[in-house]
Amino acid sequence: MALIAQLLLPFFGGFAALLAARTGRDRERWVAIAAMGATLVALLAGVVFGDDGRWLAFYRADWAPSFGIQVLLAMDGLTAAMLAISSGLGIISVFISWHVTHRSALFHAAICWTVAAANGVFLSFDLLIFAFFWELMIVPAFLLIALWGHGDREAAAIKFLVFNAVAGLGLLAAVFWMGATSDPVTFDAFVLAESDYSKTAQILLLLGFALAFMVKLPVPPFHAWLPDAHTQAPTAGSILLAGLLLKTGAYGLFRFPPMLFPEGLTALAGWGMALGAFGVVYGGILACGQTDAKRLVAYTSVAHMSIVLMGVCGGVHFALVGAGVEMIAHAFSSSALFLLIGALQHRTGTRDLRELGGLQKTAPAFATSFALFFAAALAMPGTANFLGEALVITGMFQVNWIFAAIALVSLVVSVVYATRLIGGIAFGAPKPAVQNVPDLHRYELWPIAILGLCALVFGLFPQLLIGWLWTAVEAALEPLIVVQP
Amino acid sequence: MLAYLLLLVPTPPLAGFVLLALDPYRLDRRAVRAAAIVAGCAPLAVIAPMAIAHLTGLWGDQIAPIFTLYVGSYEVALAVGLDTLSAVTALTVAFVSACVMIYALDYMSGARNADLRRFFALMNLFQAGMLSMVLAADSITFFLGWELMGLCSFFLISYNMTSPRAFAAGQKAFVITRIADAALLAGLLLLFLEAGSVRLSELIPAGAAIDTARGPLIAALLLIGAMGKSAQFPFHTWLPTAMAGPTPVSALLHSATMVAAGAVLLARFAPVMAANDGVAAATAIAGVVTALFGAASAVAQTDVKRLLAYSSISQIGYMLIAVGVGAPAVAMAHFVVHALFKSLLFMASGVLSHAGAGGTSIAALRGTARRAPIAFASFAAGAASLAGLPLVTAGWWSKEAILASAFEASWLGLAVWAVGLTAAALTAVYAFRPVFTALRAPETETPRGRESWLAVGPLVVLAVLALAGGLGVKPLTELLGGHPPHPALWVELAGASAALLGIAGSAALTFVPALADRVARARRLRAGLQMDARYYALLVRPYRRLVRRLSGGRGEWVERVVGRGRGAQGLERELEGAVRHARQPEGASSDPVGQATVVLGLWIWRALLLPFSPDRMDMAWMWGARGIGRAAERARRLQTGRVRDYALALAFGLAALLLIGWGMTWR
Repeated sequence: MALIAQLLLPFFGGFAALLAARTGRDRERWVAIAAMGATLVALLAGVVFGDDGRWLAFYRADWAPSFGIQVLLAMDGLTAAMLAISSGLGIISVFISWHVTHRSALFHAAICWTVAAANGVFLSFDLLIFAFFWELMIVPAFLLIALWGHGDREAAAIKFLVFNAVAGLGLLAAVFWMGATSDPVTFDAFVLAESDYSKTAQILLLLGFALAFMVKLPVPPFHAWLPDAHTQAPTAGSILLAGLLLKTGAYGLFRFPPMLFPEGLTALAGWGMALGAFGVVYGGILACGQTDAKRLVAYTSVAHMSIVLMGVCGGVHFALVGAGVEMIAHAFSSSALFLLIGALQHRTGTRDLRELGGLQKTAPAFATSFALFFAAALAMPGTANFLGEALVITGMFQVNWIFAAIALVSLVVSVVYATRLIGGIAFGAPKPAVQNVPDLHRYELWPIAILGLCALVFGLFPQLLIGWLWTAVEAALEPLIVVQP
Repeated sequence: MLAYLLLLVPTPPLAGFVLLALDPYRLDRRAVRAAAIVAGCAPLAVIAPMAIAHLTGLWGDQIAPIFTLYVGSYEVALAVGLDTLSAVTALTVAFVSACVMIYALDYMSGARNADLRRFFALMNLFQAGMLSMVLAADSITFFLGWELMGLCSFFLISYNMTSPRAFAAGQKAFVITRIADAALLAGLLLLFLEAGSVRLSELIPAGAAIDTARGPLIAALLLIGAMGKSAQFPFHTWLPTAMAGPTPVSALLHSATMVAAGAVLLARFAPVMAANDGVAAATAIAGVVTALFGAASAVAQTDVKRLLAYSSISQIGYMLIAVGVGAPAVAMAHFVVHALFKSLLFMASGVLSHAGAGGTSIAALRGTARRAPIAFASFAAGAASLAGLPLVTAGWWSKEAILASAFEASWLGLAVWAVGLTAAALTAVYAFRPVFTALRAPETETPRGRESWLAVGPLVVLAVLALAGGLGVKPLTELLGGHPPHPALWVELAGASAALLGIAGSAALTFVPALADRVARARRLRAGLQMDARYYALLVRPYRRLVRRLSGGRGEWVERVVGRGRGAQGLERELEGAVRHARQPEGASSDPVGQATVVLGLWIWRALLLPFSPDRMDMAWMWGARGIGRAAERARRLQTGRVRDYALALAFGLAALLLIGWGMTWR
């Protein structure tokens, strides 16, 4: 029941927010918060009363038996972590968007629906339903960018839509093919995992899946939509994009290729790691060249998500658990950075690093918060980001030292772009734009505090996170170890 | 259980950092200072009894596990521990940093409250980083402390946040040390994979026992890590510019923490170094090259703080020599002595600069010997120790031990010894230049200034130790498991005469105007052989160019490649819209790899569109429609509106009807 609630509560919560807006001021905000809060409570209940085995909770029901379509939901530690991030970031998005008044009802409904669709992606193990949620997720996110964005928002929204929708076709085609060739017809991932595809078929199917995942991740050369979408999106949109939508790509990559196509993944792993290694350095270098703070952070996302790709393709314990840790850590650090930059843009009207500067003098709490996530962005030991990167690098040393060396280069590049970011924002004499900036207020401070605490607690007590992810890591590795030479 | 008290060593500064950084109680100036000083001195109070108990043999080696991480079959057990090395280093670090903190109370008294808070918060975090590094019993905690120092050094060097130069200095320090840190991390991770454990007591013997190519690789990576943090040639360029930070920062950075951390790392991993002859030799060579280079550059400096920076580079070179020739205990003895006199020199130079004409140039020190006699006396004591004034200073004992160890080591050691001796003479030259300058009569006579006891107190304590500490060098070396060398008398005499010769040279450089002029003109040497400019040309500029080239474009080439869609009619208008959307938003830059996907997509889109533009089926229908239209056009012509035309048509029609009627009756 807890699993169904993860989908239905935010989904209907969105409609409730639409209706509630008519009854009074700010109602839609509280309804959205209540819906996602209830989702979190349901998740907590699901985890606390969860089973001990492979899955914490499992749900199976027929939907269209003649086509073999089921509602098949399952949750393990990894899923639970992603679900918590999903609802948590949803609530944070509402709180930091208190200034949004234009079509506020639809805005909050879109937030709820994004969360609902992402939850669907995290939970579904029926591939057709998975693909359905995968496509569904694009719609509310598209609305968020197109309706409440800044500047050239239509172009950015269409770019986002085209990239993700086209990439989704790869997933859809692969899923249809798998369903159509199964006998009896089924889309059950656990059943399909048992079927023995030829190596070529596995590679082709994997490419279909990987296209969708890598565009969402995003890994160069599929990343062109991300900087535009991030810069033009409203703050809440950026947070959900970075913390949630990107993570669906990472999650999909972590979950399905090792489970469904172990042979294909082993065959393509070298290419995947090479692409990831390229992305790490390329994203980092591009981040160094940006003058728009949000674009800078967007390119760091490219770099960090490329590490996840490396980790998943690594196919050893360290690399996989590192990939899991990295994607969770990145959800905290990047969404916090987008939150801060969004708040700054709301106050100063600019994200241009050349027009900002001197925040330390005018708004010290702001600058201190930046410093904290600055440390996370450059993978300071003690933050979860370091844990993720160090684990992936360790894994890379076991697989291929060249990729490890390239990943280490990213440690240096990350210092360059991180100091550029904080140098442009906190350092220097206060520029005119920053002259009378009010410091962080309560509704911004506590989300920052929570995200910062998460980044630090999981960095300082890594076993919390690693233990939580371990069943998922073991399950992902099991089929891989069988086929590895 | 008592071992867990070790956790209380880095905790107070950490708590101080959290308290001061978050500032939940809106502390006023006095409270900030009190919190900082309590947090800064508490580690000394905690570690002193424990370290002394350990060093006197009352308390054995200790391990306090923190927690264990399970990654598959690997166990990552985090712990802090106390052995001889960590007892000595932790005691030194705690003592020196407590002195610096007390001194900073006075030095920073002019700062705004917010800046004061930031300063002490970062200083406390810095202390916590170094203390957890020296007490670490596993490589992860070690690296945590190591990196924390790097982060704090960035913020502390660029403490003056409105100054672009300070920021650039901090950034440079951070980037260069991070390059070395990446190498260190690689080394530690490889060592972990080889040993299957992060516990240093298992890691290091396992690392020393590797007999594959990975052994030298790991040792070399560790060496690079140490050289970066310790600003050894050719990584040294960040240290002289790091002088942009306040003086207490330099005092802490150069003496017991950060810069010295590299030496601690090498001493800690000395067995791994010793197991790889090539790397050990490289360590000694890197050390001696740096010692000579740093000393020579220091001679040419005109700024006291930059002079002291090059002297740190040079002195840590000596520690590398000791590790390289297989005498890590001697290196650590020098580490202790160096921490004492280097922090003393920095802090005293700060007082002297304030008392002098202002600014940190050596020339500005003229006459300060009279204005701030206590600070001057302590500075002179520190300089004597740095120069290695024979017998009466601690610096002589520890440096002689290093040179003698090199002398006894091998033929390579002999060469190292000779170069090291030259560097020692140069050390005396630069060490005494500020001293002699301060003795010269001032250009304008001013009365003796006030010397705050907060500032001078630590100086006096450190000065006494920098001189008398020589008695402790031999016992300390033995305690650390080393054997104090017993060189021939002429070797010792050579060392002593080098120092005395250097001091004489220094006097000549200060008081003989012609020589002083030559020093003033030695611009190349002053700029540290212009390595900075070379790095800029070789690394920074190409990197910036690469970044600009990749991110400078606006994505116009999408249009150029795909084209704008001719005539913008039919479906081609779609293409034009797609191109417009694929371009970057106004003012944003684009990158080629990302645009490549866009271009590819547009190419495919265009290839799909063009055959249907204009739409052939639509054309067929329209052709039919146009035919009907043409027929209608012709039919329209019949409607002329003239009666005679219609009458003619009537007549023709009637005739036709008649004809038909006639025809139908025809049989």
